[in-house]
Amino acid sequence: MADSEQLIAALDSRVQRREDRRAFFRAALGAAAVGASAFAISGAAQAQTVQLTDADILNFALNLEYLEANFYYFAVFGTPIPATSTTGTGTLGAANFTGAVPVNFTGDPIVGQYAREIAADELAHVNFLRSQLMTAAVAQPAIDLSVTPTSAFSSAARSAGIIADAGKDAAGKPLPQTTTFDPYSSPENFLLGAFIFEDVGVTAYKGASPLLTDKRYLDAAAGILAAEAYHASIVRTVLDQKGVKMPGLMLRETTEKISTARDTLDGTPASAGPPMLVADDDQGIVPIQNGAGTVSNIVPTDANAMAFSRSTGQVLNIVYLSPPATATKDAAGATVAAVPVMKGGFFPNGVNGTITKGTTA
Amino acid sequence: MIDQDTIKEVFAIAEQRRADRRRFIKTAAAGIAATGALTALSACGDDYDEDTVSTPTPTPTPTSPASSVEMDVLNFALNLEYLEANYYISSAFGTGLNSLSMTGTGTQGTVIGGRQVTFTDPTVANYAREIAADENAHVLFLRSQLGSSAVAMPTINIDGGPSGAFTAAATAAKIPLVNGGFDPYLNDDTWLLGGMLLSDVGVTAYKGSATLIANKVFLEAAAGILAVEAYHSGLIRTLLYSRGIAPATPIATAANDRTYSNMISDARDSVDGTITQAGPPQLYADDDQGVTQSPADANTSNIVPSDSNGIVFGRTAANVLNVVYLNKAAVSSGGFFPSGVNGNIKTSNNNA
Repeated sequence: MADSEQLIAALDSRVQRREDRRAFFRAALGAAAVGASAFAISGAAQAQTVQLTDADILNFALNLEYLEANFYYFAVFGTPIPATSTTGTGTLGAANFTGAVPVNFTGDPIVGQYAREIAADELAHVNFLRSQLMTAAVAQPAIDLSVTPTSAFSSAARSAGIIADAGKDAAGKPLPQTTTFDPYSSPENFLLGAFIFEDVGVTAYKGASPLLTDKRYLDAAAGILAAEAYHASIVRTVLDQKGVKMPGLMLRETTEKISTARDTLDGTPASAGPPMLVADDDQGIVPIQNGAGTVSNIVPTDANAMAFSRSTGQVLNIVYLSPPATATKDAAGATVAAVPVMKGGFFPNGVNGTITKGTTA
Repeated sequence: MIDQDTIKEVFAIAEQRRADRRRFIKTAAAGIAATGALTALSACGDDYDEDTVSTPTPTPTPTSPASSVEMDVLNFALNLEYLEANYYISSAFGTGLNSLSMTGTGTQGTVIGGRQVTFTDPTVANYAREIAADENAHVLFLRSQLGSSAVAMPTINIDGGPSGAFTAAATAAKIPLVNGGFDPYLNDDTWLLGGMLLSDVGVTAYKGSATLIANKVFLEAAAGILAVEAYHSGLIRTLLYSRGIAPATPIATAANDRTYSNMISDARDSVDGTITQAGPPQLYADDDQGVTQSPADANTSNIVPSDSNGIVFGRTAANVLNVVYLNKAAVSSGGFFPSGVNGNIKTSNNNA
């Protein structure tokens, strides 16, 4: 279960942390002799250097596809994906849709078309990965796509500041949450729900691309990466269009909030890679003003106009809705090593397979 | 001696600095004229070049230098980026690529045609500026990675007149001509169709080349550019689909956006051959799709051109050249590249 108080605290410190990181970069670059010691900090960010097999990586992707496919499938058809597409190694879990009803697209059938198309693509990705992994394919883990005040969507929306936090009582004890984010309640909320996932899928596939060794898998992964980017582009473009036509919904601004929350959750590792990681690796769609007038921001990119990468641990931090674990001190003041988070948020029991851990700060 | 990891770290820092710089440029005070924006784009490029001169880049890396195959693939991609950058920069800003970014090996050419589009929908104008900036950055990035091996910009035809490459493409697609031509600079919708002509091809080119790149640094970079091209293509196709049924205001050809996109797709399919192979790269005979499920079903959306596994198509470099040369035969020039492309990959496949 996500601790939204922890998320909000992390959010508050984000700006400061990014400034610190940039100050470090400038100082490091300013040094004439760029020695290895200057980059010791990168060791922590790159902690995950375990040798992974292609099957490990494809199974990691399969967990994410289970999540995406179930969301779109339910939004369109009102049911989880077919049970025959969920079996495998590890613990089979259910997709929880408590409180959810399929999206009513009659007010915007075009968005309904996109939803059907993406649902078909995501289920095809699930089935494709399963066909490649065969008996090694992991089962679908438990997935939370429900609509309650404590659901993963509500926790994510709360950490992004989209819905209100209950706050604390006079004694400082957190009050029970009462607000809910329902991604199925309208075409617009559906797009925001999709926005929470889609760019993450792009960064996950891009980050994993240099880890694959078999060229056939690489070829397929490149094709799925592109499909995820098309999906993300549909979602971002339609939100931008609706942002102009329905300004009262603050859709553009809301994407920035979600982006900022993701940026907080995934920490600030910096690595030249591969995969190349940068501290600020997420962007909403609010247009930018410059000398030319207004420039949209449909594509989240770095200065080279390349999409961002995330490590597997960073992706898990986001879907677990839990920021990088930090070291703590015990009663005697001794340091207790950070314990990476292994479940939470959209995956209440964690993911199946060998790649299961979030990052440490 | 700086080890490879350190070089990569330096590269990351340079990237970060450029990112900061870009944010600065993007947030610079409004009020500069449109040409000021181009200067900003150019300044971004100059800044980039400066950085790559003063800081080592991972090209070539001591342990796995770029192979000749990789150089060829990146240079092939650079030719396509020259084409895309010129189209989008011209339509968004009314000028071409910075001349400093055109130099290199092979014969440097010129840009034929192109002009600023007077957009009706301000959001479409926003998109044009964004894509222009991205494609410009791709040119700069590939040039920086290739260093002195980068090919020069070949002659590029982005003319919208009766004798221009876009008209030839539209003719092949059987799109009705207006005043004897297809002018992508005429309005929002023709610009989107022109963008679709180029962007989908970019996606298939990067996807089809991914498995030829062994160097992991280049591979990840190519994956990042592939994703961006897919975002561009997704943006354009989403607009063609949504405007095709209910344009906000009556615009010349909006009602035809869906139909024309399917016709463009069919035309590309007719020149790029019918190779089928399990790969890698996996290739299909029918590897191109319009924005609806089929010409007969103009309602069901098909924004993502993909196979039955939801996997986006790839094309070989030679088949990409068939598309941009607008010729199904094995030729070394034509269409958008009237003098051919520069580099070692320059002949299209024989699909005649």
